[in-house]
Formats: sequence, structure tokens, C-alpha cells
Amino acid sequence: MSDKDIVKLLPRNVAALRRGQTEKDGATLVVGNPVSVRLESGVGNCFPGLECDLRNLERRFFPFLTVDVIGSLIRVASVDTAGVQAAAAAGQLSAAAVAVYQQLAADLTANPPWLIIQIRGTFGPLGVLDVTVANLQVPSTGANRLPPDAWTAVRLLTEGTEVLITLRRNNLTRTLTGNRARYLDDNGALAKMFLPGELTQSLCSPWTHDFRDCGCFYWASNHPDIALPPLPTPTPDVAAVNTSVPWQRAERTLTDFPPAPATPNGGSREMAYYEINTTWQSLNFVAEGREFSGPYEPGKFKGDKFPTRAELVTNLRYAAGVELAVIHEYLTAAYSLRVTGLSGALGRNVTAARAELIRVAASEMRHLRAVNDVLLTLARADNVPTADFIPALRVAARIPDSQPGTFRDVLARPATPQAIQDFIELERPSVSVDGLYSRILATLEDEQNNEMSQTIRSIMAEGENHFETFEFIQEWLGQHSPNQYLLALDLAPPPADNPLHATLQQRYRALLERLFAGYKLGIPAGAVNINAARQAMLGNGGLEGAAAAVAAAGFLVVFDRVNDPRFEPVNNP
Amino acid sequence: MNAPDSAVMMKAVEIIPADEAAPLYKRFSSPRGEHLLVVPHTRIFDLPDGLTAGEGHDRPTSEMLDALAAALALPATGEVPLDYVVQPPPQSISLNVSSSCNLSCSYCYAARGSFEGAQPDAMTWEVARVAIDRLLGEADPAAAVTVGFLGGEPFVNRRLVHRAVEYAAAEGERRGLAVGFSVTTNGTLLREEDVELLRRHRFAVTVSVDGGPRLQNLQRPLHVNQGGSYALLHEATRSLLAAPGRAKVAARATVTRFDLNLRERFDAILSMGFPEVGFAPLRSAGGAAGALEDEDWPAYLGAIIRAAEPEMERACEGGTVRLTNLAVALKQLYRGASSPYPCGAGGGYFSVAADGRWYACHRAVGSEPYRLGDSSTGIEPARRREFLVARHVHSQSACRQCWARYLCSGGCHQEATHRTESACGFIRGWLEFCLAAYCELAERNPNYFNPEAIAHERDVHE
Repeated sequence: MSDKDIVKLLPRNVAALRRGQTEKDGATLVVGNPVSVRLESGVGNCFPGLECDLRNLERRFFPFLTVDVIGSLIRVASVDTAGVQAAAAAGQLSAAAVAVYQQLAADLTANPPWLIIQIRGTFGPLGVLDVTVANLQVPSTGANRLPPDAWTAVRLLTEGTEVLITLRRNNLTRTLTGNRARYLDDNGALAKMFLPGELTQSLCSPWTHDFRDCGCFYWASNHPDIALPPLPTPTPDVAAVNTSVPWQRAERTLTDFPPAPATPNGGSREMAYYEINTTWQSLNFVAEGREFSGPYEPGKFKGDKFPTRAELVTNLRYAAGVELAVIHEYLTAAYSLRVTGLSGALGRNVTAARAELIRVAASEMRHLRAVNDVLLTLARADNVPTADFIPALRVAARIPDSQPGTFRDVLARPATPQAIQDFIELERPSVSVDGLYSRILATLEDEQNNEMSQTIRSIMAEGENHFETFEFIQEWLGQHSPNQYLLALDLAPPPADNPLHATLQQRYRALLERLFAGYKLGIPAGAVNINAARQAMLGNGGLEGAAAAVAAAGFLVVFDRVNDPRFEPVNNP
Repeated sequence: MNAPDSAVMMKAVEIIPADEAAPLYKRFSSPRGEHLLVVPHTRIFDLPDGLTAGEGHDRPTSEMLDALAAALALPATGEVPLDYVVQPPPQSISLNVSSSCNLSCSYCYAARGSFEGAQPDAMTWEVARVAIDRLLGEADPAAAVTVGFLGGEPFVNRRLVHRAVEYAAAEGERRGLAVGFSVTTNGTLLREEDVELLRRHRFAVTVSVDGGPRLQNLQRPLHVNQGGSYALLHEATRSLLAAPGRAKVAARATVTRFDLNLRERFDAILSMGFPEVGFAPLRSAGGAAGALEDEDWPAYLGAIIRAAEPEMERACEGGTVRLTNLAVALKQLYRGASSPYPCGAGGGYFSVAADGRWYACHRAVGSEPYRLGDSSTGIEPARRREFLVARHVHSQSACRQCWARYLCSGGCHQEATHRTESACGFIRGWLEFCLAAYCELAERNPNYFNPEAIAHERDVHE
């Protein structure tokens, strides 16, 4: 991803920072999704598109045009005239094409509108066709079949291939040629031509009738079939408060508490279609599996607190060290996987495993930053001057093992089945690393600083995601033998004098220095250094390129001990 | 610039809506790139490069920024909405202890302390004590409390100043209040005992000094014989400047249209030993000559920027900023200071006249619309409310649609009638310079903005 692709406002003063940080702001207004959001971030299933309507992608299939596909009509909805001008200036569009675009733009509000009536192009598995939109119909079967409808036709067009469209308004016809647009960028994120909200604009909520009919696995997780009943005040001491009830039960009063329990056949009567239409708002919110009819307040996290501030800080510093250590382990494993000579299922599984390992490593980098933010917040609360604050960038000498209170060495090794199994143990909820953070969280809950606890909570939540991810990786790689997916079975670290290895260590050291400077100042003052560190990781000139070069030379990617008091290994408390 | 946001969410006695057509953001550039100022609450962001032609978007960039700014402009937790008129407790008073002065500067707003007959006599101890008691009794104990001394020349009434400081400090300590002090003085009457007092307490000392010998003697002559005051000033301030103790000393220079060269006098004043110099252009001179006129403002802007540029370089290289105007602007931009009022007048600040009446502002002693109460009966809420409603920046037709409305906030109430397009052009030009300077400094020397220092530094009213 280049700098230009990131549309990101960097807060420059305290007031700018404050606007994004307070709890109230999060609850009252959200301006689009953050840049890190991807399609798969949605809580629901994304096909056929209950949380995002994928048909909106096709609205931008043709360069500089947005179209509305309505039944069998494809109507021009808008023209990116600035884009047309820029392309013309760059010599990428003919004067004739520019004239057509300009005419479309001028007639946007005209009635009747400009319609795309004919499309010639490569329609995926159907091959090259010249399709008259009005002639498309179901059924679509047989050898010379056509797409069944206008949207499917556009959907089938192969990305990047040339498309000729014929447009008509009254008796005028015009043609344009262009390549079928790319909907995603190189990084798998939505192309930037899509505006925030564009993929959801065609959804309506609530789809009340659907609500009644759809089972819990069809809808997003916000539609359970059963849930624990809301707790009345005072809470009676009966088992029924912990027995699930049908969420859509028709009986909404709490007078006969507890409601009748759910049964395999549904239990008590559920709301009918029309009832849902009129009283959907009486359905309760569900959090942590229980219905809430009033404001929800998260419960306090229960865990074994650290008795002193000093112990908390020591453990936070160690936690940062553990993050660094697992980044080392995950990156070493990721770069031990093949990137060439792969095909079919092997190719898909190994590519996915490698991408996910790197994603998890990147997520641990965010944790490293988060722990340092918490440490800085604590230091400021304790009136430690900026000059005296030392960021936590010392790698852990040993990391928590699967049994509470046990530790193991940090191991630089390829992504062998044993390594992946160890990663699963490392990220398993409630033990190992999660166990360390749960004590930190329990201690921070007393700090009256919600931001710090939320930071730790999000680290723990991501840990759970990592655990699942490693289970997936285990499943994917488990379908093949290690000699198929590892660069070599006897992969070893490069000799000490290897120049590629030296470059990697040099860049890693420079990265640590930048992070040290950035974490020391915090945000916003340290933002410049932190952004620079982030940039320094990417591309051929970055850590990424150096690691890839070591791997390409047939060696294991390892990170040497840094002999500097700021970065040298730290022992577990 | 203006009073800081209050961290305490206060109740509005009136809400004056913002102009719907008012800009919510201002784009500006610095040597470091493109930036966005979200006007309400003064939030500053870096914009990504190349966000000029709306590249890659259907919507024009301006439309996206409008939508973005509308969201970012909402108040965050702890910020008082900018359309509120609030009546916070008084935190700061100035005592007009003296009704006379040993200098006779032609441009003096107070007519040497007599306020054209409105304050014929000096303040008595009883009046000062009652005012201090009321302040300490009503102030929010969680916030800083300041007692200031003005005149006339405050040290003409030396005994009262000493007695009031000792009393307020002791009384503040007894009540658990953090009391600070401020004084604006011409510096010529300071004796060692005064210097000791200033050193011992947390005093913000503003010394009025217009320049080197030539300018100082010309603009600030002695009253008795119209002789020069420079030598006297230099001698009397030497000891304080050499060892200020707990006092924070700064020079404040009035600039008339007759001499707009700032750099020279800046250096001259620094050479006397002042650590910091602020400039105040003369906007109204009563009947006298010298106030800046429309054609002077562009030249004045150029002059203050020329004085500021070397200070910026110093700051980027790790030094301090010695130009108060720039130092304050940078600090306030860092915090995101934003207010519908240019100062605390009638809000947290009141000025007590020698007769015990409380005015919204020390420049308005004797002016009926500014009289908001007195020490014995307290502040009159209805008068205060009327005063604040009328002076809210949303009530100023000339300011409602200006992007600088929460930074300048309409400027000094006393000088509002002298507001002209040219004078406002100066304010905006200066703010644009400061915004760019802020962004550049934040990048080149982030350590300049030490969060701890800024959080703990108390604001001192002028």
C-alpha cells in the first residue's frame, strides 16, 4: 500500500486527539469505517449481502461511470468528470471518449436517462459475448447460454478485460470502451472509488418479515433464536434466570417472570409477521448472551490483581516483551513458507497461512504499541517526566507456556506442525499470554481510566481471534506434508556474516529506535516517529523486503539479540 | 488569544446558535504539508498529500471535508459547547489599587488611573479585603485562583499591594486554594521590598516597556517633567530580572503607527534582561494620535511575522520562544483553545474598582454596561447574563461567519468598535502564520510541546 492510498487524518493537537478518544464520542457518532476495516470484518455473513450489498460493487464496473442496475435496465447515475479530465490530460482517453462522457454528465438529470443497452466483453466462464441487455432472460441454460439478467451480466465480466458498452438515450446512441474496473486494491481492501457507506446504501433495516423467518445462522449474530431472559430487579434466585428463552416470544411482559423456556420446538408462541412489523422495537438487545431491557453496563473483569503499581508496571513491560518475542516467532514461521512453485489447493492453503501469520504478527505489533500507550499513561499519572519514561521494547527472554506459571524459550523455527501447535497453545484463551493480560486488566479496572482497560480488553479479544486463526492454519497446512509447504525441511539461520541477514538486523534495529522515540513521546508528539516506523516495515526497502531476501536465499529469518540496554532481553517477573 | 475551554461541564443560561453558513473548517498549509483546522474546538489535523482535486472520489473534496468537519466539530467530553452562555464562578479578579501613575503615556486607556474621574481615589485596604474574601469564597476550589493588581501604577499604592498579597496568600492557604498573582506595572517604582514580594509568590509580572531608550522615553514619559523613563525602568527592574524567584516576568510593548519596526525594539527589550516580550498594537488612543489605521495593518503583520520567524527557528532547534504573542499562540493551538469569548471578562474574570464595584473588565472601570456587581452584594446575575449574551461571538454579526471566530472571538470588547476589515485581516493573517508555525514546530521539535508542562502551567489573565 502506498502512502497515497491511505486517506488518513493525523491528529495534530490535543483537541483533535480528544475528539476521537472519549467514550461518549464513540457512542454518539461514527464517521464511516476506519481504514483497517475489510469485508470480512463484518459480523454477519457477507453473501448474499445482509450487511453489505455486493451488488453495489457492480455500480462502478465501468471506468468513470456509476450505474444503477434496476431490473433489466442499466442506467447511468453519475460521471466522474474530474477523473475523465485527469485521464484525458494524461493521454489515456481520446477526445471522442471525453465528449461522450461529457454528454452523459450533462444529461444526468434528463428524462429519459442514458441506458447501457449493449455490452461486449469477456463474461467469465461464458467467454466473449456481445450481449443485448434487454434480451436477457431466465432460464439461462445450455451451450450458448447468456447471463440471466443485467446484474449477472455485469457481474460476470472479467476484471481488467476490455468492455465495449453501447449507450442510448431517445434516438441517440454512443459507445465507450474501457477495462472492467478493479473493486479491490492490491491489499485486498475496497478500491478507493467506493465511498464510506456505499456498500450498505441499498440495505433496509429492519427487514422485518425476513427477521421472522431467518434462523440465527442466516442473519448476523445480532439475531439470536434464544437468549437468557432479562434480569428483573431484584433478581430472584431461581435457575430459570439462567435458562434460555425464545428471543422473539410473543409474550413481552415480565409479570410472569421467568418467561417460558425455549424448547427444541421453539417453546412459547413467537411473534407473527405482522406483530414483528409493528413491535420489532420491543425485541431486547442481547449482550453476553443475555437480553437487556435497560442500559447495559459492562461488568467488572474478575481476575487476580497485582498488589502494587510496581508489579503492574513490571508485568506490562514483560507483556510488551512477550509481544515482541511472538512477533519474532510468527515472522520466522511466516517466512519459512514457500511463495513460489505452488498451485491448486496447496497454493491456496500456503498463501493463506502465510498471509494470516503475517497478519497476526502485525496485530501483535499493535499490541506492543497499545501496551506502551498504557505504560505512558500510567507514567504520566505518576508524574514521571517524559525524559525519564522508558518505552518497553525489550524482548522477553522466555514466554508463558501452556501450564500456568510455566515458561518456555523463544524459538526461531519454521512453520512446522509442532510450531503451529505451540502457537495455538500460546494464544489459547484464559491461559498463557491471555492469563497474563487478564491479571493486568483486573488491576487496571481500578484505575478509573476506561481507555486503559479498553485497550487491554481489545488485546485480549484479538488474542482469541489469533487462537482461532492458528487453528485454521493448522487445518490448512495439515492437508499437506511439511516438505510441500516449507522452503526446506532443514531450514537454518544464515551464517553470522551473511550480508542479507546483516541488512535485516540493521533495519530491525532502526525500527526499534524509531519506535523507542515515538513511544517515549506518545500521541500526538510521537506520531511522526510511529508512522515512520510503520512505513519502514513495508516494501522492498523495509523490514518486509529484508526478511523476504533472507528467505529467498534459503535461510530462516531470525532476529539477533540487540546489545543495548533498551532492547536486550527481559526476564519474566 | 482567549480563555481556555473549561474542563467542567457547565450549565447554559442561554444558547446562542452558530450561524449555519459559518465555515466549519479552514484548510491551511505549512512547510510540512496540508492541514485541516476544524474551527469549533480548534482541532488540527494533517491532511494526506494529494487531497486537492478530490482524486479518486465522486464527491468534491470540499463536500467530504464539510461532512467530516461537521462530525469532528461536535464537542468531546469535558468541552463546553460553543453556543453556550455559561456563568462560571469568578476565578480571577484584578484590583485597581491605584488611581494615579508616575508616567503619562498619551495612549493610556485609564487616564493614568483616574478613568476620566470615575476613580478619583486610590483603593483602601477594606475594599481590597472584601473583594478578596468574595473571590475566595465563590471561586471553584478545584481551579486556580488569581488576584491581579492594576491601576494607575499599582506600586504607587505599594502598601496595599503588599498587604493584599500577604492576606490573599494566607487566606488561600487556610481555605485550601491555589492562589496566584499578577501585576501589570511600568516597572519604574520597583523597590527591593517589592521585588522580594514578587519573588516570594507565584506572580505573573507584566512590565510595560515600549522599546529601547528612544522609544521608551518618547512614548512613556515621566509625568512630572515629561523626562525619559528608560533609565529609571532599567535600574528598577535589574534586580528582578536577574533573579525572578517564583515570579514569571514578561515585557509588554505598545506599538503605535509611528514606528512599526518590531525586531529592533524586540532586541532592545531582550537586552534589558527580559526573558519574553509581547507586542500590543494600539487600536484606540482616546483622543490622542498613534492608533493603527487601515493602511498600517498589513505592515504590522509583516513586522510581527519578521519578529516571529527567528523565534520559530530557535524553537525548532530546541530553544524557547521569547515572543509572547507566538509562545501563547503555539501553546493554545497545541491544546486546542477555543472559546466564544476573547477573554474572561464577566465570565471568570472581574475587575474591582477603588469604590468596590465589580466591572467585567479593567479597561471599563466607570462604564455602566460593564458594571456587573460589587464586593458587598456580589455579582448581579441578570446584568451579567445580559453582558455575556451580547458579547458572545455568535452575537457579533461581523464575526459569526469568520473561520477565526473561536480563536480571536471578536477581540477585546473595548476595541470592538475599532474593528475593521483590515484589522481583522491582520488577525487572520497572524493566525494563519501561527497555525503553520505550530504544525512545523510539532514536527521538527515535538519536545517543544511538553504535555506535562502545558497541563500544569496556569493561565494568567492579562
